[in-house]
Amino acid sequence: MKSKITGLVILAAIIAAACIYYFGFASRPQTVTINGYLGGEKTGLLEDEQVQEILEDKYHIHIDYFRAGSLEMVEADLTGRDYLFPSSPVALELYRETVGEPVRTEVIFNTPIVLYTYTPVAQAMEQAGYISDLGGGARGVDLKLLAEDILAGKQWSDIGLDSLYGAMTISTTDPVKSNSGNMFAGLLANVLSPGGVADVENIDQILPKLVDIFEKSGYMESSSSDLFNQFLRTGMGARPIMAGYESQILEFASQNPDDWEILKDEIVVLYPVPTVWAAHPYIALDEAGALGIDALMDEEVQAIAWECHGFRTGILSASADISRFDVDGLQSSVTQAVSMPDYDVMARIIEALS
Amino acid sequence: MKKGWLWIIIFTVLFLFSSCGPDAAGETADGNSQVFDHGGNVTLRILSGSENRELSQILDDFARTQDINIVMDYKGSLDIMRELENGAAGYDAVWPASSLWISVGDTQHLVKHAQSVSITPVVFGIRESLAKDLGFTEREVSVSDILEAVSGGKLEFCMTSATQSNSGCCAYIGFLYALLGNPDVITSEALADPGLAQSMTSLLSGVDRSSGSSDWLKDMFLEGDYDAMVNYECLIISANQELEARGEEPLYVVYPYDGLSIADSPLGYIDNGDSRKEEAFLSLQDYLLSDDVQNQIQKTGRRTGYEGVSQENADVFRSDWGIQPDRLLSPIRMPSSEVLFECLNLYQTQFRKPSLTVYCLDYSGSMSGEGENQLEEAMAQILIQDNAAQNFLQASSGEINILIPFDSNVRETYMASGNGQEIELLYDDVVNEETGGGTNMYKAAETALEVLSQYDLSQYTPAVILLTDGMSNGSFDDFRRAYEEAGMDVPVFSIMFGDADPDQLDDLADFTNARVFDGREDLIGAFRSVKGYN
Repeated sequence: MKSKITGLVILAAIIAAACIYYFGFASRPQTVTINGYLGGEKTGLLEDEQVQEILEDKYHIHIDYFRAGSLEMVEADLTGRDYLFPSSPVALELYRETVGEPVRTEVIFNTPIVLYTYTPVAQAMEQAGYISDLGGGARGVDLKLLAEDILAGKQWSDIGLDSLYGAMTISTTDPVKSNSGNMFAGLLANVLSPGGVADVENIDQILPKLVDIFEKSGYMESSSSDLFNQFLRTGMGARPIMAGYESQILEFASQNPDDWEILKDEIVVLYPVPTVWAAHPYIALDEAGALGIDALMDEEVQAIAWECHGFRTGILSASADISRFDVDGLQSSVTQAVSMPDYDVMARIIEALS
Repeated sequence: MKKGWLWIIIFTVLFLFSSCGPDAAGETADGNSQVFDHGGNVTLRILSGSENRELSQILDDFARTQDINIVMDYKGSLDIMRELENGAAGYDAVWPASSLWISVGDTQHLVKHAQSVSITPVVFGIRESLAKDLGFTEREVSVSDILEAVSGGKLEFCMTSATQSNSGCCAYIGFLYALLGNPDVITSEALADPGLAQSMTSLLSGVDRSSGSSDWLKDMFLEGDYDAMVNYECLIISANQELEARGEEPLYVVYPYDGLSIADSPLGYIDNGDSRKEEAFLSLQDYLLSDDVQNQIQKTGRRTGYEGVSQENADVFRSDWGIQPDRLLSPIRMPSSEVLFECLNLYQTQFRKPSLTVYCLDYSGSMSGEGENQLEEAMAQILIQDNAAQNFLQASSGEINILIPFDSNVRETYMASGNGQEIELLYDDVVNEETGGGTNMYKAAETALEVLSQYDLSQYTPAVILLTDGMSNGSFDDFRRAYEEAGMDVPVFSIMFGDADPDQLDDLADFTNARVFDGREDLIGAFRSVKGYN
């Protein structure tokens, strides 16, 4: 009798466990994996385990990616892709032009274009009169003056940097493929135009100068993250100044504190005057892709995007608590930002630099 | 009872297999592949530059301790670029000498997680006493200073082929800058300058021996009697360690300030959607970038980390060898990819020292069928110029190609000069020969030497390329005598096929400072590789 009862108890337990197993799984939505093209500077965010957990637990999605330049991705093969996550509205406009209206789109966060350089270069630039004080320890670069000197063929040795070989240049990504280089080209077009804004009227005069500056750069990387890694790895001799996103140094300092401890006295952040904001729009190509928008706009994800990866989010975009980063010379509110030239003008620039 | 025996047999077999254990670090016959298999449950197949061969101990340690097998397939940077363009099927990771080749080749956006493992500049290593005589040890040296020594007949050097290998390509681009008067960047217009062809041809006539890979260039240098080579700083350091151990004169490292390039050795993951491979890759990358392993890598003469060379490794980067670990490496700018390819085409078809290649091809009976088909296909890749251009293997206008078909005897000698119709007609000769008879490769190689002796070899990069598929009759000693009598520095490369005897081919390669290529799995690939060596 006793053994019969034990048997029944075991049977009941098995049935109960099966029910919990079956109904538990049935009621829990399965994780959907979506796939798309992602700008290299955001891979750190999507590889962040904390972010992946939130996406999975709260939104039941996993965002996989292929890395591509912002403009490149629009023209890549989009079969089987659920989203594009470039770094600029220019890519979005290009998408609208070539493909059509996306299923859904939203700007996820922002980051300003900055220049990175090494301490001896910054000192020489200061002496040469390119650098101004932006307050709060942040320093600005007179971009017009710098662009004109590059056009004039000034050598590094002309500003006292004898150990650097050749003509002054700013390393950027390929403006035809990648956004940071593209925005920098737009910014240069602005500063080189008479009224400070490149438009359809004056762009013809500016294009030859832009072509000159970018042609002198020779081979350009197509990913902002590759350029930044090389800037840090190959040292001051290889890339004395580069244009990139502010988020890159913030992410590096927060993710690699030991390396940053070694580098922080060597690397200098400079804010171009004027500069532009890179707004990162998420472009959903289908309904599955659209799930990514809500997930990335999640409050916790947005907080991690700023705190661990340096993207200015929501109202933070205007004025951010920069003190949480162990990086000198950051600007709390970037007030010298201007608008990018219109899409028509940018299309002309891309065409000229192609 | 019967069943019991069966089990005993099964267990014994299983036990024998498991106790044999996996290979530690295996190598293919031609050394183009290395396998680190300690029975791990995942295998990473990596497409890599040959310079990483020096890290094999480090990779073996990883494979042993982490249960992850590694297969390293060594190829030239341009081959790596092309593999990537074509989707790099079967590979899990890519590790070329420079990120340039990933950015240009990754048109399908397959590469993720790319990180530089170490840095090394491309430099000149010149015999110390010669460097002193040339006045290169006391001052900053420009590319023009080096060119002057070459044109004055005071310096000859070895370099890898600019169209096959990153170090040769970087050096060549540095030469172009110097000969064009150091412009901000090389442009198509500048390349059209007629004076350039003349000065570059004369400069490259100073190239003693060429090679398709940087690591083998170092090996070849150590086996021969040469004055200088262009190679990675880390490989010059490794050559010097060997030279010093032998009690021979080391090389002095010269950093041309207006022609320097940096190899940043990026290791990237090729995403085929297999999360186990991705995990394995990331653990390999973490391992290579860990402080301890970065220090081990630094001991091999590569620059690692953000802090420069540590005190502990100062004796590797020796100042008496001219090495300047604290030097700010200020490299030249690589031209845009369109201009770069234009530069490479010019090198291949006009500027390089013309090659003088004798193909000794085995038409013995055993080559009949599949062997003959593959041989014809391989020769079509080299002789039909549109095919050759796909891999930057085109002939140049001054080039000479000779074909010696053989069985137990030499059948005929065909010759084609230049890169016009003649070379394509040579392909008809390849096709028209029929298989039959025995094998005597020594006789064919001797005939090749006789043919070569009719040319002024200082004007060419000469080589014999020998394909054979069976144990050869004839005698190596006869060949050796003929070679010694001829007194030429001509490598006899061979391509192993069918049942060829590796020992016979190794003897030829060792004796003539050449190497053996394994064509048993991929004959066409082997022909392409060997052609990249001259």
